[in-house]
Amino acid sequence: MDNHYPKILIIDDERGLRLGTERLLTRKGYSVATAENGKNGITKGLEQDFDLVLIDLKMPDIDGLEVLREIKTSKPSTVCFIATAYASYDTAIEATRLGAFNYILKPFTPEELIHQIEKGYRQRKLLLEAETLRQEREKNLLEIAHEKSRLNTIIESISSGVLLINKDGKVVYFNRACLNKLHFEKLDIEDYILDKLPSEISELVQKLFSDGSTQKSYTTEVEVLEDGELIIEATCSPVPHPDGSFAGVVVVLKNITGLKKIEQLKSQFVSMVAHELKTPLAAVLGYLDILVDKSIEIPQEKRIEYLSRSDIRLKGSLELVNDLLDISRMEMNTKQREIADVVLVDIVNQALELQELEIRKKNIIVEKSIPIDLPSLHIDRDEAIKIINNLVSNAVKYNKEDGKIIINASSDNNNIKITIEDTGIGLNEKDLEKLFHQFFRAKNKYTRAISGTGLGLSIVKRLVEANHGKINVESVFSEGTKFTIHFPFK
Amino acid sequence: MLLTEKVKKVLLVDDDIDLLEQNKTLLEAKGVEVFTAESGEEGIERFAEVKPDAAIIDLIMEEHDSGFVLCHKLKKTDIGKQIPIFILTSATYETGFKFSATTKEEQKWIKCDGLIHKPVVIEDLVSKINKYYE
Repeated sequence: MDNHYPKILIIDDERGLRLGTERLLTRKGYSVATAENGKNGITKGLEQDFDLVLIDLKMPDIDGLEVLREIKTSKPSTVCFIATAYASYDTAIEATRLGAFNYILKPFTPEELIHQIEKGYRQRKLLLEAETLRQEREKNLLEIAHEKSRLNTIIESISSGVLLINKDGKVVYFNRACLNKLHFEKLDIEDYILDKLPSEISELVQKLFSDGSTQKSYTTEVEVLEDGELIIEATCSPVPHPDGSFAGVVVVLKNITGLKKIEQLKSQFVSMVAHELKTPLAAVLGYLDILVDKSIEIPQEKRIEYLSRSDIRLKGSLELVNDLLDISRMEMNTKQREIADVVLVDIVNQALELQELEIRKKNIIVEKSIPIDLPSLHIDRDEAIKIINNLVSNAVKYNKEDGKIIINASSDNNNIKITIEDTGIGLNEKDLEKLFHQFFRAKNKYTRAISGTGLGLSIVKRLVEANHGKINVESVFSEGTKFTIHFPFK
Repeated sequence: MLLTEKVKKVLLVDDDIDLLEQNKTLLEAKGVEVFTAESGEEGIERFAEVKPDAAIIDLIMEEHDSGFVLCHKLKKTDIGKQIPIFILTSATYETGFKFSATTKEEQKWIKCDGLIHKPVVIEDLVSKINKYYE
């Protein structure tokens, strides 16, 4: 006996036998329940999970074989005995067919009964173990099936295309993403694919076929649609059989169109920066070459003009470098924005002071109307200064002699509105569209002598937007330009 | 080396006023009269006015091909056909876009008598102009 008490049910209409058996088995450490007829026997036998059931064959209400059938049908691992004094060959066969473990002949000695019951209990334990194993096996199979469908779902859901090709060059598996990466209408399992794939990819696949190695992977970039409309990166890797031998190739396809565009923009930017840095240097070098060339006679006033032009161009390139640093700081997000209450009139006055010399030189009139009770701006102070300085210096730089600069500010419930207007050279419609683009500079007879980086306004726009504002521009060619900024009210 | 006596007037077209001033000074030192224009449009007007004996045109002005366009127009005029017109450029170095204006294919669409690379080496420019008049 193990520490678990085997549960046994005795179904018998004979009270004496019932009680005697119960007493005997209880003493032997069994947990015993009894039923005095077939009906009760079935009820109890189905209610609980007995290890063993001892059923009298002849009972007045329901026949023992019927009781046996009922119990065995719903509790197949319960071990049942038929007890009878009228054993016959036929009933024995019938009882065995219905699942009885054995026959116990009445009357029986306690030893006989215990011997049979112990044998039955061993059988019961085997049955239980088999049942547990069966359940575990079923569970494992379910898990495997579940795992497979999960993998399928995952591969179908990823945005990369996955294409499996066997040694014969036929498609063994592909996911939907594969189709749009290769711009295929359809694809079928077992299609021969090597002549349909872009040649760059099929070459790599064939290379893996001939390598036969299961280690190396190859990656290539393919322009699937012209003009950089669709560029993919294909990585081809060998797939081994479980024994390690070469089975085929898996191709993973990634859309890198966006990445390529960014790369292209980056190299364009670098080449523009290089050009913009080189141009002023070339101009200055040109002047220096002439100034040091003893064979060329240059009047004194020309010499001074050359030096002052060199000065302007070098300041311009310094400005450019500073603008580039601003952009790089903005892009790297290294700047910690410190939101403060900024009094607009203060920073406007500062910006005008910086330009004072130029304003006087050009004889420009400044009209400023900023209400005393204008709420303060709730933005980063340094950035506010940069924005206003930039716009004010543009208003001076691109203004005409005896021109005007008009600076207004007002507020309503939602916004603070700032306008900076000049009576300068203005912009035509085509140039107006590109005004905030990096390195854009309007090229015309007026702008030729004015140095600028082409970055200032693109920086202004970014700074305004970083502080949740909006900037607009209106302009009439050769009449003037007006910038309007809205900052949301705190 | 001085410029050949056949060349009395040179037209320079460039939108960079500093390079324009420098090349003007350098050419004047070679004994010619130099006229300038700061855009393609102005270039056409000045060309008609001045009737130069040589013209040097910057490639990238308002547009990336302003120099080609101007050159094309000038080479259609009677004067344009008789004088050397050079294109001034640093595009081959900066953009990697290479052209020489010397192959037959190129001469179909680039109507100029040669390229002058920036920065201008005045002796080369002078010898190129002189060679045209030999």
